[in-house]
Amino acid sequence: MLQKMVLTILITTLIIVILPLTLEACPSCKNLDEPIARGFNWSVMFMMAMPFTVFGIIGGSVFYTYRRANRDLKT
Amino acid sequence: MMVQRGMEIAENRPFSNAKLGVLILLGAETMLFAGLIGAFLVYRMGNVTWPPLSHADIQLPRLVTGINTGLLIISGFTMFQALRTIQLDKVKYLRYYLLFTGALGLLFLVIQGSEWIQLIGKGLTLQSGVYGATFYVLIGCHAVHVLGAVVWLAIVICMSWAGRFSSVNHTGVETCTIYWIYVVALWPILYFLVYFA
Repeated sequence: MLQKMVLTILITTLIIVILPLTLEACPSCKNLDEPIARGFNWSVMFMMAMPFTVFGIIGGSVFYTYRRANRDLKT
Repeated sequence: MMVQRGMEIAENRPFSNAKLGVLILLGAETMLFAGLIGAFLVYRMGNVTWPPLSHADIQLPRLVTGINTGLLIISGFTMFQALRTIQLDKVKYLRYYLLFTGALGLLFLVIQGSEWIQLIGKGLTLQSGVYGATFYVLIGCHAVHVLGAVVWLAIVICMSWAGRFSSVNHTGVETCTIYWIYVVALWPILYFLVYFA
């Protein structure tokens, strides 16, 4: 059991040491000074915001309608 | 007994299934347009000069499209008025407002079509690089949606003539209004993005 654990720690340490410390997540956006990279960046930001906007609007309108209906029922 | 109870629950529900269905459809449409706008942003910001030098001589008809935008916004207002009138049980006025809205929608499409013919004549086609491709795909996709809205509106007009709507039952008008206003609200964003960015 202990042997297996030590071996796992050794292999993990070895992998961490061997692998480069910095990784480029997206090769297209690494140089943000270039216009095309800036375009990609804005496009990604815009599309990332969309699902939240869509679900926010749909959820918000359902919530608001039900809340208003409940308020009308109470009065 | 159970069916009747189920129908009562459905009628008393503040948010109808049809309305929720349309909202989910619009969510999917928003994602589609977000993808197209995202692609446009990549190409637009990736090019220092826009339109690219190969299409520098082509001027998009901003003024005519601006007037067309005004027509579409008015159609959104008349569609909203149509919903208001049926909520007040004024069926006769509903038909007038629906017809007027449909006419404005068709006029928008005709003007768009004539602009496209002129631009194709000047050499801007779907194959003429990213400028032509992004222009026709974005504007064309919206035009298809306006066409879909006009067809939907035509069905609603027929139903209103058949006396299918009242102040109590007007889900058809309500869902069509939501879709129409979505299509109207989307257009100014696309107009400023494509014609002025």
